[in-house]
Amino acid sequence: MTKKHKSISYAKWGYFFIAPFFIVYIVFQLIPLLSTFYYSFFDYYRSGLKVIGPEFVGFKNYATLFTPDSNGQIGFLTYFGNTMIMWIIGAVPQLVFSLLLSVIYTSYRLKIKGQRFFKTVMYMPNLIMASAYSLLFFTLLSNVGPINQIIMSATGSTFDFLGQVWPARTVIAFINFIMWFGNTTILLMAGIMGIDQSIFEAASIDGASAGQVFFKITLPLLMPILVYVAITSLIGGLQMFDVPQIMTSGNGSPNRSTMTLIMYLNNYFGPSKNYGMAGALSVIIFIITAILSFIVFKTMNSPDKGKKKSKKARG
Amino acid sequence: MKKRILAALVASAAVLSLAGCNTDNNSNSGANNSNNSSSSNSSSSGDSTGDNSGASTPDDDNFVVDKNKPQLIDTGVKLSESEGKVLTIYAWNDEWKKMFEKYYKVPDGITVNWVITPSADGAYQQKLDDALLNQDKAAADDKIDIFLAEADYILKYVDSDYTKNVADIGFSNASTIYNYTADACTDSNGVQKGMSFQCCPAGLIYRRSIAKEVIGSDDPAAVQEALSSWDKFDEVASKAKDMGYYMTPSFAETYRTFSNNVSSAWVDADGNVSVDPQIKAWIKQTKDYMDKGYTLEAGIWDDEKNSHMFKEGKAMCFFGPAWYYNFSMGNVKDQKKDADGNVIEDSPYGERNTVGDWGLCVGPQSYFWGGTWLLAGAQTDNPELVADIMNAFQSNEKILKQMVEIDSQFVNNSAVNDSYTSNPDFGNEILGGQNDWAIFAEGAKNIELKYATGYDQLLNEKLQDNLKDYFKGTVDLDTAWGNYVKTINEAYAELKLPEKLTLD
Amino acid sequence: MATTYVSTGETKGTRAKTNIARVLSYIFLGFVTLLSLFPFYLLIINATRSHSELQAGFTLIPSTSFLYNLKTAWNDRTMFVFPMALLNSFIIAAVASILTSYFSAMTAYGIHVYDFKGKNMLFKFILVIMMIPTQISVAGFLQLIGNLGMKDTYWPLILPAIAAPSVFFYMKQYIEGSLPMEVIEAARVDGSNEFKTFNIIALPMLRPALSVQLIFAFVASWNNYFTPALVLDSSSKWTLPIALAAVRSRINSEAGNMGEVYMLIFLSIIPVVLVYIFVSKNIVEGVALGAVKG
Repeated sequence: MTKKHKSISYAKWGYFFIAPFFIVYIVFQLIPLLSTFYYSFFDYYRSGLKVIGPEFVGFKNYATLFTPDSNGQIGFLTYFGNTMIMWIIGAVPQLVFSLLLSVIYTSYRLKIKGQRFFKTVMYMPNLIMASAYSLLFFTLLSNVGPINQIIMSATGSTFDFLGQVWPARTVIAFINFIMWFGNTTILLMAGIMGIDQSIFEAASIDGASAGQVFFKITLPLLMPILVYVAITSLIGGLQMFDVPQIMTSGNGSPNRSTMTLIMYLNNYFGPSKNYGMAGALSVIIFIITAILSFIVFKTMNSPDKGKKKSKKARG
Repeated sequence: MKKRILAALVASAAVLSLAGCNTDNNSNSGANNSNNSSSSNSSSSGDSTGDNSGASTPDDDNFVVDKNKPQLIDTGVKLSESEGKVLTIYAWNDEWKKMFEKYYKVPDGITVNWVITPSADGAYQQKLDDALLNQDKAAADDKIDIFLAEADYILKYVDSDYTKNVADIGFSNASTIYNYTADACTDSNGVQKGMSFQCCPAGLIYRRSIAKEVIGSDDPAAVQEALSSWDKFDEVASKAKDMGYYMTPSFAETYRTFSNNVSSAWVDADGNVSVDPQIKAWIKQTKDYMDKGYTLEAGIWDDEKNSHMFKEGKAMCFFGPAWYYNFSMGNVKDQKKDADGNVIEDSPYGERNTVGDWGLCVGPQSYFWGGTWLLAGAQTDNPELVADIMNAFQSNEKILKQMVEIDSQFVNNSAVNDSYTSNPDFGNEILGGQNDWAIFAEGAKNIELKYATGYDQLLNEKLQDNLKDYFKGTVDLDTAWGNYVKTINEAYAELKLPEKLTLD
Repeated sequence: MATTYVSTGETKGTRAKTNIARVLSYIFLGFVTLLSLFPFYLLIINATRSHSELQAGFTLIPSTSFLYNLKTAWNDRTMFVFPMALLNSFIIAAVASILTSYFSAMTAYGIHVYDFKGKNMLFKFILVIMMIPTQISVAGFLQLIGNLGMKDTYWPLILPAIAAPSVFFYMKQYIEGSLPMEVIEAARVDGSNEFKTFNIIALPMLRPALSVQLIFAFVASWNNYFTPALVLDSSSKWTLPIALAAVRSRINSEAGNMGEVYMLIFLSIIPVVLVYIFVSKNIVEGVALGAVKG
């Protein structure tokens, strides 16, 4: 009886704690967002400085987006494919790398010296802005760059890194990999540190092998953070924009094979400021993201569901 | 800890700026204005008149330009009380800003507020558009008085209600202007909305040493004779290739010679896009040149192209107007410069310089390229000042002569330009002393801008970008064109493009 | 390898295995270090080269123009003042990152600790909005700040930081794993009020997570070009990425100087590196904290 009374009296505090977040979110994001979604049903763009519309057109913008081009390809599906390909090329090695690194850093047994140095260095690539990477790699891989000078002296001809589909995609994925693996490692490390160290000590005294410790203890307890990392990586991947945009001057060259979903969206925000088409595309991107996140969330979250429920019940 | 870092930052900032000041004083003889442009609001009252005696003397004809000491020119304009105190100017870089600050004495009590947005990713037009669309809400001082625009998109602003009829504020074209500059900023009803401070006839800039080998002479007349048509140009290109040279440094190098000689507009009144035979000719030529290795694959602004301006460069023909080789061919001099463009080192040129190894001729066809216009904002609260500035930059000889001699600007005043064409002492050292003004003055007479549309910038740029895959052989023409159609449709909802491009 | 030591006993075998693992780890870390420093190496090399050297092509050997480039960048007054841009960037990034970390933790705490009506719905709502690419609402966002009269101010760059769904989600996940309800209930018994409990007791326990998100948010704000470029008009308010874009925008003109561009990039990295080194200490301390918690 008293307990129930207590929890009721505290409940109102919850609203105070979450109020700033929601007020700011509603003002600065939700209102702009809803207007974006709303205008997906309108013809609404600029012709020069003249504003055309908004004029209600129903699902016309969606129909346009679903119309295949002369090769039978539906634009946003192609760019979704490009995005996922570049994300996978970068994200899979990144996750393996980061897991390995965070285990090494936090290992009770290895006791790696100079951790501060390694950790600092590892995150540093994330401090350089995407435009700087694009600039560096562009000159590094250009026909007159040092790499092509080496290739030239070895083979007699240059290799066109950014002019071919797969090399261009790989370069973009590689830049994303370099930029973000430190970030992922820190997230995972912080997660592992949150795990009670005495469990590791006990396991080590019991003679558990490093592999056993990792798969039986670290991985399951790391699940909430892993879910987080996987979902944010996926969302980040779907939002891939600045590196390919700057590297290819927004063209997604060659042959639009590095055009990502958000670059495609950005194209509609060009001179025409096409709120109608951009709105429709935004809704589609949102649905794609939601479905994928849901799948990741479900598959990764199912093992420790029971544990979570018991925790929530305490609240 | 945080405080300590901040303190360290501030301290190191102070040290560095002190160190910087010293060198500034030693090297900065060229631009005495750089120190008062340190903030975006450069007030005219106070220090700006310090170095340069702003008083202009009445003897205009005897005005002698001191190349090392730009002079602020007082136009003597008297502004009425109703004029605002802040002049707001929108621009995408500081090219004109520098000239304005060097030569135009802003009346006392007026502050100039520069809003500069780097044009990366269309940011300049985006910001300008938003500002224009919200002029009603802006405070008087924030209302746009002047904004800058380029030939490729100027009509978008000229053909709108956001620009002012400059006749209404007391501006009229001088008889000495080049007529196309007025046409470019005149709307479909014949109302003129601005002016340009420059004229941009262009030519073919060739490497003399390579021309000597390939053509047998580096004399502009002889080179012109050898390159006077595209057929001859092809012949020389093949010869250059055999001798280990590239005819052009970029696959898009010759684009403007074709695109500015079209006989129809990119877009008709109903939004239908059509490809002019001149553009098709460029596509055919470029594909041919790429296949045969006559040209480098670089884009028009790429480092790879620029690197061929050095001594070891292998490219023979560059295409551009006066502003191009004076502003964009810095590699020719191979020297160190500070942010104001002043040379830092005592020795004038680096060892890989090619100064004097260039010549200018008309080339296979006469053309023009680029140009910057000043447009008057519809709601300007400084109409008299805006008109005075526009008048000064078309007819104040003291300002214009300084622009010619110090900045190598081909100004929008035929009288001033003509006074240089037969001057034996006037010449460009990059061109080995050749008097380039004679060629430009001739070319300027022929410039027409009949077929411009507000869409040209993206239609031109994206055509080059999308067809590059085709030129390289990565995709066929249909695919490349298809990509172009998609790009344009995404950018401009109202345009309709043909599904296929046929070159013949 | 370990098998050769079998005769000397189990513990030695494990130790040998550990040693091998350690050597491999160091090799791996060495490789990662090289990989991580490579872009910095390229940047520093380029910052030592003059414009004409840079235009001539790319090499891996340093040149002699470092000080010259440094003075050029620092004293550039043509469109902006570098030390001012540095300070502007720092103020915006510092305030925005502190707001993001603090309010995300607060919101996550509110959702985790209290059982109020609509809580699950609100939680799911945040999860959903986390998935929305931020680029989608940019157009409406700009209209809004125009209507609110926030154009050319820092507010649109700072205030929205309070609502960061993905940071909230991280904090929520972290709190679930490392903030026992018993601690909060104990504080209540001691008579602590709810905000005090959060600020004095809960926040310190979240330090590793706060530090992580602080540095992430700081870097994101520090490197953000798009929004500041659209919001800020006066060049006295410019941030570093805008200044960098401005210098790049004249790269093909007479005053174009790639050396200055690389120097600006190099200079703009130094403050974030300092902030990171400062914050990373907290992340390491988190290990000890985790042990205490157990």
